Amino acid sequence: MPEQDNSQFGDKFRKMIETIDVANLLTEPLTSSINNLLLSSASEIVSREASVLVREGDQGDLRFLTAIGEVAELLYGVKVPAGKGIAGFVFSSGQPMAVADVGEESTFYAEIDKKTGYSTQTILATPLRHSGEVIGVLEYVNRPGVPPYKPFTPDEMDKAAFYADAIASLVNAYESAKLFRELGDKVLSTDDNTRLPELREWLNNLRDSPEHRETMELAILLREISARGPNERQICREVLEAILKFSDKNSETSFLSM
Amino acid sequence: MSTVDEAAFYSTVSSYFRPDKWRSASGKGVTVAIIDSGIDANHPDLGSKVVELVEARIDNKKVVFDPSTSGDSAGHGTACAGIVAKIAPDVKFSSVKVLGAGGLGDGQAFLAGLEYAIKKRYKLINLSLGTTKPQFFAPLHDLLDRAYQAGCIVVAAANNLPQPSFPSVFSSSLISVIKSIETDPFNFGFHYGEVIELTAPGVNVRTAWLNGGYRNLTGNSFACPHIVGVIALLLERFPNLTPFQVKSALYAIARENQLKG
Repeated sequence: MPEQDNSQFGDKFRKMIETIDVANLLTEPLTSSINNLLLSSASEIVSREASVLVREGDQGDLRFLTAIGEVAELLYGVKVPAGKGIAGFVFSSGQPMAVADVGEESTFYAEIDKKTGYSTQTILATPLRHSGEVIGVLEYVNRPGVPPYKPFTPDEMDKAAFYADAIASLVNAYESAKLFRELGDKVLSTDDNTRLPELREWLNNLRDSPEHRETMELAILLREISARGPNERQICREVLEAILKFSDKNSETSFLSM
Repeated sequence: MSTVDEAAFYSTVSSYFRPDKWRSASGKGVTVAIIDSGIDANHPDLGSKVVELVEARIDNKKVVFDPSTSGDSAGHGTACAGIVAKIAPDVKFSSVKVLGAGGLGDGQAFLAGLEYAIKKRYKLINLSLGTTKPQFFAPLHDLLDRAYQAGCIVVAAANNLPQPSFPSVFSSSLISVIKSIETDPFNFGFHYGEVIELTAPGVNVRTAWLNGGYRNLTGNSFACPHIVGVIALLLERFPNLTPFQVKSALYAIARENQLKG
């Protein structure tokens, strides 16, 4: 009896995953939105490179999620061990900081620079927080033009904190989507070790959570709109970005804080 | 019944703490606990001043502190100690390493570090860290009350983020600091009634860094040790100052700075 239950449940779950197709639906638009925000913030803060690092596991390690600038491609996926370097410190302490002259001695940045061939000279790093928890780090590196670069200012630090708030919401959504995708991959695989009772419990919790249910409904809507064509996708993206921009609870211009 | 004449009151307090009574001090006899990423004890500015190096470790779900040999994992603790030592060159340091020690969540780590420093009764504690996790509100509040009762002066860096961070928003039992563009450590500001009352230099501060080096740093974390340095000087000359008296002294001195400024 339980065997059959599990198999029916597994089938249903597979269908659900296939229907929602979270892998492509949620993560891609999110990374693209994060990149858009990174680009506009880097122009506002006047930095040459910008990157988002996210936590990896629960031991304080970080990983580059996305970056803009000349060595962006080389940074994807690079890991920063717990507490190492400025990013590691900002992540574990929750304190933003700027270093005017990173220098070339044997710090963690020298290791990354060696990999990328880039020279990190001045840096501004601020934590990404979601629901009171630090989930990553936002970094701005160097200035346009030639060195020596003007250090990042307190005003730019405040601006970075503002952008960090918006980027953190996107990163959090990205992480949820990724988790869901990984779970989906696990179910869709033919691995017999898949622990269906655990998945059942997870799905039940999901069902019970109005927030998740609404998110899933939203995901289905998004998929339908996306399937209708590039114009629909464009409108949808613009509307969503506008909502993100104006839904900052701390902003007086928020029209969603009623 | 009469109202307190604030000007008269604080001019009395500030004359009690006249600059010539304490600014020539060097922090002798004062040990500062730096709860941070560790201190590089090989740095020429700091080596001889570090009297204790401990590091947090998880043991059976509890945080314990062992002697540390791993140095500073990020440079931040060294930077904070460097700022204190510049103002108060004869202070001693206890490095309580809670960051980069591995396996500890942010709030849990510095809560344990703070508890360690209070238990050891360090008179002056530099906490350039903060958390926004609501679950740490109550335990931190409790810990700071214990610090206050034990006579430990806890100085915390504010967080320049949109949401409140703990413990810097607690106003009664600790001293919270935010950065200013001021460069003179003695010309700090005190804004009574604001969430973060003290302002101190925190922009492009040149201080000690890893591998015997120096860096120019910006952040509230670097404003905090400036106030710690000033308090170390006061403590050398007035060793039995309570946290409550230190706050009044800082307010009176800052008020005088402002009047002169």
